[in-house]
Amino acid sequence: MLLHRRIYQFFLIYLMGVAVLLLLKYSLNLSDYVIPGIIDIWQTGIEVFTRYVADVLNTLSVAVIGQIISLFLAFLVGITGRQATWFGSFIKVAAYNVQAYPIVAIAPIIFILLGDGIITRLLIAAMICYFPLLLSVLGILAEPIGEIEHFYKVTGRLRWQLEIKIRAFENLSKLTTVITGSATLAVAGTIVAEFIAANAGIGYSIRVALYQSNLSKILIALFLIGITLSVYQGLLEVSGYLVRKGWARI
Amino acid sequence: MNTPVIKTVIILMMVIMVTLTPVASKLRGSAEANEQATYRLKWLFNASVVGDLYADAHQMFAARGLEVTIKEGGPERDAIRELEMGRAQFGVASADQVIRAMDKGATLWVIAQLFQINPLQWIYRPVKFRITRLEDLKGKKLGVTFGGNDETILRTLLARGGIAEDDVTLFSVRYDYTPFYKHRVNFWPVYRNTQAIILADKLHQEGEKVAFFNPTEFGVRFVANSVITSPRMIKDHPQIVKKFTEALMQGWTAAMDPANHQKALKALQRFDKDTPLRILDQQLRATRVLIQPTPDLQIGTIDVAAWKQTEKIMLDQKQISSPVFVEKVLRPFGSY
Amino acid sequence: MLFKCRDITFKYPGSRNYVFKNLSFEMVEPGFHALFGPSGVGKTSLAKILTGETMEFSGEIHMDGMKTLLYSYNLERLPGWSSVGKHLEKVTPPSQKGKKDELIEAFGLKELVGFRFSQLSLGQQNRINLIRYLLQDFHMLVMDESLANVDELTREKILLKMKDMFPDTFFLYISHNVIEVSKFCKEILVLRDAGKVPQVTKIEGQNCSIHRQIDKEKLELTMLEVMNASS
Repeated sequence: MLLHRRIYQFFLIYLMGVAVLLLLKYSLNLSDYVIPGIIDIWQTGIEVFTRYVADVLNTLSVAVIGQIISLFLAFLVGITGRQATWFGSFIKVAAYNVQAYPIVAIAPIIFILLGDGIITRLLIAAMICYFPLLLSVLGILAEPIGEIEHFYKVTGRLRWQLEIKIRAFENLSKLTTVITGSATLAVAGTIVAEFIAANAGIGYSIRVALYQSNLSKILIALFLIGITLSVYQGLLEVSGYLVRKGWARI
Repeated sequence: MNTPVIKTVIILMMVIMVTLTPVASKLRGSAEANEQATYRLKWLFNASVVGDLYADAHQMFAARGLEVTIKEGGPERDAIRELEMGRAQFGVASADQVIRAMDKGATLWVIAQLFQINPLQWIYRPVKFRITRLEDLKGKKLGVTFGGNDETILRTLLARGGIAEDDVTLFSVRYDYTPFYKHRVNFWPVYRNTQAIILADKLHQEGEKVAFFNPTEFGVRFVANSVITSPRMIKDHPQIVKKFTEALMQGWTAAMDPANHQKALKALQRFDKDTPLRILDQQLRATRVLIQPTPDLQIGTIDVAAWKQTEKIMLDQKQISSPVFVEKVLRPFGSY
Repeated sequence: MLFKCRDITFKYPGSRNYVFKNLSFEMVEPGFHALFGPSGVGKTSLAKILTGETMEFSGEIHMDGMKTLLYSYNLERLPGWSSVGKHLEKVTPPSQKGKKDELIEAFGLKELVGFRFSQLSLGQQNRINLIRYLLQDFHMLVMDESLANVDELTREKILLKMKDMFPDTFFLYISHNVIEVSKFCKEILVLRDAGKVPQVTKIEGQNCSIHRQIDKEKLELTMLEVMNASS
């Protein structure tokens, strides 16, 4: 989806959401304390905009780095686990089973053990998007592409590097899709982890806003999260397209 | 137009109307004719709500013809919102919540003040230092819940002591006490009658002594849990409000009476199953001091001066945009 | 060099019916040999058994003086990340560079080496695939419909060129085209269903080459023989 279209669609959904809230507010005659008015939201937006932008970028940077770590690990394990050896099977079974575990529920324990610094948030971001990435990467790297690999196999040229390259290339579209999808996971998971137990990032700011029962601040935070995520996903899709275009000349 | 289509549209509209009518009335509803009411607490069932639980356990509401459902509070719950939405008829909120809500145009009445002394204090280890003046806070690492009322109180204390923010280190606290256990933080915010008892007990087991830094001793009176209701309730159902308040105060008075200590513990244990009995016992004793600091003080008394000070603190710290004159919503028992 | 198989028996896992039962034949001289038969008779299965791609069979295979057997088929693809020319270069042994250029020219692909595989037509793709096999070191190459989607004239040109460039190599050419196999092949192994005896019949082909012109009458006779043998 084109970047500008993605942003436009986000604006539409966000404004619709705000409109529904305002409709509720005015139809039920609720005070600004329960549902803030447009002016209150606007004024709060001006007040917290710079700070929240910094928070969102902070969260996004943690999510991005966490996702990169996750991708690297997923490929490492995927490359090792793709073979039909006992280790390969073990990796697959472990990945399928552990991915059912709610990583976000372990987040408080991680914060207790490692403190609330950036390492903990990175770890949680990486863990959240790791298993879906691993499953996809494993699936891609374990599936032979017979029509291409056959020649190299029968002529004794099929080294593991070439095998990985073939399988990754043939599934480039799938890979870029799963990377874009895991970006959302990484950001959402990082925000939740920050909400639970961190002291930085937009998730933490939302927690503070919740303590203050300040719905305006929460709406502003949601807006910034949504717009940043839309731009980030759009950029990832564009990057994926450029990679496919450059490598595969699609 | 197609007859089946018309029929479908009519049926659909009827279904929507039938569904939305009770929803709408529930949203803006008030206590029903059979005198049912919902009472939303501020936090979880613990020693801070012992009087509420006592009243319920001893049928004090029922004796006055009221069917009251007491609901636990929590971080995502807001009694003021629920009053406005009609989901609760009574609630518990702290003064800063009430003042903040008034600043945003919410209308409510305060019908009783439960805590005469704010339970929010800071625990510290007296073996390392003692706090006799506010200036003693300089150079210390202070735990604070950013956005919470302890942040407001702390900033007021710092301002009073002429302490700049650079003179202290503010540490953002979470739900676990690990940084305090590990001596990374000198002061940790706790509720004197609940968390503090548990924390002190744990530290005592490790041979450590604790002390408490009480803002009230330094002239900062920030009103805590108070009972609220909506203007609609007082206008339309003053008798229910009266009966509710009577029953509630009866419950609190009985729970705070040392003669009923065991009964109060039993009522508490029914709802707070996770805390050991000996801890509950200490929590109840600590709660007594905060609810009724002197035996002659009537429980539920609204300290108007403390409310005004709370508003002033919030105004000075720009927590509210302009004065709300909170005293105008204070409705002590008998004034309605 | 000699290629011989005896009593080859094979059925698909889980199936009750045999594809081959005690199938025996031999190829005693290098050159173009055809494997001909109706669809589904087992030509590809037999080719995979002969080249070692399938090991689940009983019987014996003797190769005298032959070590490397390669199997190529028409659905193969080259990787898409660089041009076909670059891929060919990577798989061409240094001693075969000259041959590569000759084959590219003969197969009509000179203008297309800068293209990526997906940009070629099906016929062009099959030709490029065949070239890379021809550049390898092998004693027998099985060509399973390797010239599918190539027009008749170009196919003829290619087959004649291959016969000229690789006179001492075994080729097993799998095709449905009775004219083609009768015309260009030395021997045609006509394969029939497992229930029929004999399951394989060897028929002498016309073995047309650059140096040997076709005799139309003999070609017709050969074609007739092949059709009779396959019924």
